[in-house]
Amino acid sequence: MTTNTPAGSLAATGVVPGFPAAARIVARGSTALALLGALVIWLALLGPFAVLIRHLSFHSIRAALGPPGALDPLWVSLGASAVALGVMVLLGTPLAYLLARGRLPLARLVELGIILPLMLPPLVIGLLLIFLIGPEGTLGNLLADIHLTGTNTFFALIVAEFYEAAPFYVLGAHAAFSSVDPRIEQDATLLGDRPLQAFRRITLPLAAPGLATGLATAWARAMGAFGAVIIVAYYPRGLPNQIFIAFQEFGLSGALPFALLLVVAALPLPVLAYLWSARARSRIAGVEK
Amino acid sequence: MTAAAAAAAATATAVTTVLAVELEVERRDVTVQAGFELEEGQRLALFGTSGAGKTTILESIAGLVRLSRGTVRVDGRLVAGSANGESPLPPRNRGVALVRQPTTLFPHLTVEQNVAYGIRHSPSHSRVADLLDRLGLTALARARGAALSGGQRQRVALGRALASPFRVLLLDEPLSAVDVAARSGLRELTIEMADDRGAAGVLVTHDLTEAQAFGGQLGIIDGGLLLQVGGAHEVALSPASRRVAELVGYGGFVPVPSDPSRWYAIHPDRVLLGARSEHGLVLTGTILSTRAFGPRYECAVGLSSGEQFTVHVDEAPGVGVECDVTALNPPVVGAEETTAR
Repeated sequence: MTTNTPAGSLAATGVVPGFPAAARIVARGSTALALLGALVIWLALLGPFAVLIRHLSFHSIRAALGPPGALDPLWVSLGASAVALGVMVLLGTPLAYLLARGRLPLARLVELGIILPLMLPPLVIGLLLIFLIGPEGTLGNLLADIHLTGTNTFFALIVAEFYEAAPFYVLGAHAAFSSVDPRIEQDATLLGDRPLQAFRRITLPLAAPGLATGLATAWARAMGAFGAVIIVAYYPRGLPNQIFIAFQEFGLSGALPFALLLVVAALPLPVLAYLWSARARSRIAGVEK
Repeated sequence: MTAAAAAAAATATAVTTVLAVELEVERRDVTVQAGFELEEGQRLALFGTSGAGKTTILESIAGLVRLSRGTVRVDGRLVAGSANGESPLPPRNRGVALVRQPTTLFPHLTVEQNVAYGIRHSPSHSRVADLLDRLGLTALARARGAALSGGQRQRVALGRALASPFRVLLLDEPLSAVDVAARSGLRELTIEMADDRGAAGVLVTHDLTEAQAFGGQLGIIDGGLLLQVGGAHEVALSPASRRVAELVGYGGFVPVPSDPSRWYAIHPDRVLLGARSEHGLVLTGTILSTRAFGPRYECAVGLSSGEQFTVHVDEAPGVGVECDVTALNPPVVGAEETTAR
């Protein structure tokens, strides 16, 4: 057990000069603490999943999801999240790259603007969004000219999800690009690549694991976005809203099937992205050929 | 087209000048200055202590550092700096291959893919395989960067540069982690491939023998300045100033009796025991200490006037023994450069 860690094995064989007994106690103690920490985190994070599965019966799932149109919130959430993610990748990737390379004027200010939505309570974001893109809002008038309405529309849902999720992608992508040594990008261009070629052949593959993690997190946030969404886009009803409404109308048993649906719809992509990026990272690190 | 005009003018004046450098870079700690020209097949080794500005000069020649003044031209075409509204070539067209220190490989690509990266047209498999063989990397062709040792990484970086269509080869301590036994072969390969292309080469190193082995000119850099450029042996035998002498290994400085602002520079390897006035300057001193130095001995010699220096000799006199030593034609140096460039 404790001998799995390098410190433990050193201590156990008595190789550590000086204080072998003390070292052994420290090594065993820290291993025990780490295991305890892992247990607590797993319980805290995975406990609710276990409870969710235990309290669901096949009958209640069929009753909730069986009727025609019952799956509509799923399609709404999937569609809006996909569009929000697309816009995020399109706009957020270059932004994150320029931030990581320090090529943006007023970078600190831009960064603050990206982090701010994370700091603001989602409900407050929702209220502010009404002022901004609602029918009476500044941008709302402009949007009306192109026949877009900023409240209770599919468009509004996308905007609200974007606000809640985009910072996760941009910050993740920023970190991913920062981890790529700019000197090897220079090397690629000196070896004949155009800047975009170097980005595609060098930067992107190296940043991909981090980008995937950021994208997965953003996807989960977008699918689960609720605070800003319920203010700006009560309709069309996405899954989080559906859960909230079912909970209010029918209690736990009515809400849990939709909760399961949301988890099943939102989770596979992040999990796959995590597994893939872990593999890609170890491949780059040379662990696996 | 101003660029074309400038290129034409440059080719008209100097047909074979491959690399023309006249640059100044403001660094936080020091201002780096350098000026030299290299023709086809010419090589320059820049030698200096770490922090002297060697790497800055290489990166400036590659156009990766903003120059505060001056230009760098490869085959007459602007690569760094600005001149009459002419803007530098994009990196891909500069014809510059750079081997950095520490080595920068593409970590997600195999050794083979790294080496072949810069080959644009007709990436011939046999050519890459041939190069890998000469670099001693055939067995590692499919390994990735992280799995390699420092010396192997340097071979890959060197191979990647050599395989690309370069006109100027820039090497930053390219063999520092390679086994001493393998160095000469890699050095020969490098020189052969550079000569095949009629390319110019610039090597920077803090190892004087490595700098001399590169062939061609030797430049001494200190504090951001190119203090002296000359033949590899000439600079070592006739340093232009006391500082250059110190950098190329002279350890003792004995004032010239007729001119106290100048010194005889004593090199530990250019000293004989005994009075041999026909070969140079005879000094009388006391052996202060003796220790083994490879197959020879290193002795510290103290003069009655107070100066001390070390000598490398085959037979070690005992400590405290008074003896004559002959410095072989010692160069006379001043505090300032005597042959300023």
